[in-house]
Amino acid sequence: MDYQRFLRTREPIWKGLEEGLLRARQRATALRYPDLEALAVHYRRVLHDFALARSRFPRTRAAERLAALALEGTYVLQLDHETSRFGIARFLTRTFPRAFREVSPQIAVAAALFVASAVFGLFLSMVQPGMALAFLGPEAVEELSEGKLWTDALGTVIPPSISSSAIATNNMSVAITAWAGGALAGLGAFYVLLLNGLLLGAAVGITAHYDLAGRLLTFVSAHGPLEITLILVTAGAGLSVGRALVEAGEPPRRESLPNAARAALSVLLGSLPWFVILGLVEGFVSPSPDVPAASKVLLGLTLESLFLVVAWNPFLRESQG
Amino acid sequence: MDQDRAPESGTLPDRESETIFALDNVPLELPIAGAASRSLAASIDYLLLGMLGILWLVAAIFALSSGLEGGWLAAVAIGGLFLLDWGYFAGCELAFGGRTPGKVALGLRVVSRTGGKAAPAAILVRNFVRLVDLFVGVPMMAADPLARRLGDRLAGTLVLRKAAAPAEVVLVRVPRGWGAREIAFVEALLERLDELSPERARELSRRALLWIQKSDPSFLPRIDEDDPAQALRRAFLTN
Repeated sequence: MDYQRFLRTREPIWKGLEEGLLRARQRATALRYPDLEALAVHYRRVLHDFALARSRFPRTRAAERLAALALEGTYVLQLDHETSRFGIARFLTRTFPRAFREVSPQIAVAAALFVASAVFGLFLSMVQPGMALAFLGPEAVEELSEGKLWTDALGTVIPPSISSSAIATNNMSVAITAWAGGALAGLGAFYVLLLNGLLLGAAVGITAHYDLAGRLLTFVSAHGPLEITLILVTAGAGLSVGRALVEAGEPPRRESLPNAARAALSVLLGSLPWFVILGLVEGFVSPSPDVPAASKVLLGLTLESLFLVVAWNPFLRESQG
Repeated sequence: MDQDRAPESGTLPDRESETIFALDNVPLELPIAGAASRSLAASIDYLLLGMLGILWLVAAIFALSSGLEGGWLAAVAIGGLFLLDWGYFAGCELAFGGRTPGKVALGLRVVSRTGGKAAPAAILVRNFVRLVDLFVGVPMMAADPLARRLGDRLAGTLVLRKAAAPAEVVLVRVPRGWGAREIAFVEALLERLDELSPERARELSRRALLWIQKSDPSFLPRIDEDDPAQALRRAFLTN
């Protein structure tokens, strides 16, 4: 076939694909099955024309146009992921629990690191109170010596709506950072876990030194258990990505990394909404003197149990798709 | 559609493109965007993100000063900043087909490893690790033949340069015995004639016409010496 004839006979097909792709880009949902079928047929013909042009007429405008068209067609028609609509119910009952179970060994590692770090912080605050005090800052120390906790300002100085929003967004940022840091061979997740564990241990130890540990534990009892759990879960998900990054074997990293990242992402997305609930609890319930300590403990345990049931989903069978 | 990546060859990786096998095993070259253009696109986006953040804050302060209820408004302002911070890149890439404003400006697009539309999960993954990539992204892109940062490796995505759509030069006639090389030359010349100075266009057209007349006298019986550029256009673009 000569170039003239090639252009004359094949160009209508190329134009057909161009027009079809334009429609698909403008309103993909409006395409009906016959439109899609026609698009796929045109795409296939254009691919064949491109193969011919590349071998017979390389570097001509026709070959360049077909290359661009084939790439655009591939972009619009190639789907290598699930096309089903994102369903929140399906995500919460299947995708999230399955991913949670997948990364549970890494969550256990994260928990062990956190507990070890917290115990070290507690030990440090008892043996070297001065060093532990440095973690909290001079203002907090001054308040402690006056019998006040730094958390008191949450209920009096800052409106609960603002503190809720600030706490929720800050905690979500920490969780995403721990998750993303895990992808750096686990280093970022280690940092977040060790630092938060150390701070918690030191804070409990120091407040115990001033006989204020009871008040601190009462304050954190409503939101603390789940907050710590969520940090451990997101950091554990990050560690699972870090593991896929450093672990050699089958399947190769090109496949194992995106798979691990997708599971870890599901865990992160399943955890983030709970931070909003926790923000509200920490802003409105935790600092409130009107809520009895027992109610705060009960709320904390309820939230923790609810999250664990949703995350583990005991009703999910492995065979469920 | 069944597509797969080209098998590894024994040669050094090509930094400009990645070959995939499309339907019916037709090889396609994906034009890979380099670290420089991607960094520039990211700079534009961060600039825009900063401006949006400032605008959001100014709007919140304005609303607060106009007497609206302060507590919840401030809470919404904080939430909005968080969403902007973590959602700008992912939101743009999800809404605009793998593109952010910076990528649009530089002609870049995020695609899957097989050249298709990247999955929403992949878009989220690559953007949640953006914070880490601020530190390790550029060295990783510079060291990788496919210029992938950490987020791209985790998400299984590539960033492509937009293939320049060629100008529609459709040759109606072609001299006998011409191959792809000659056709490509004339197409390039016809496409660029308007960009050349009149003297240069005239000289190149005249030399091309002489060459064409020599290779196929029946295609071009005589040469119009007054306006060779127009003669060249007439010869190839009209019957």
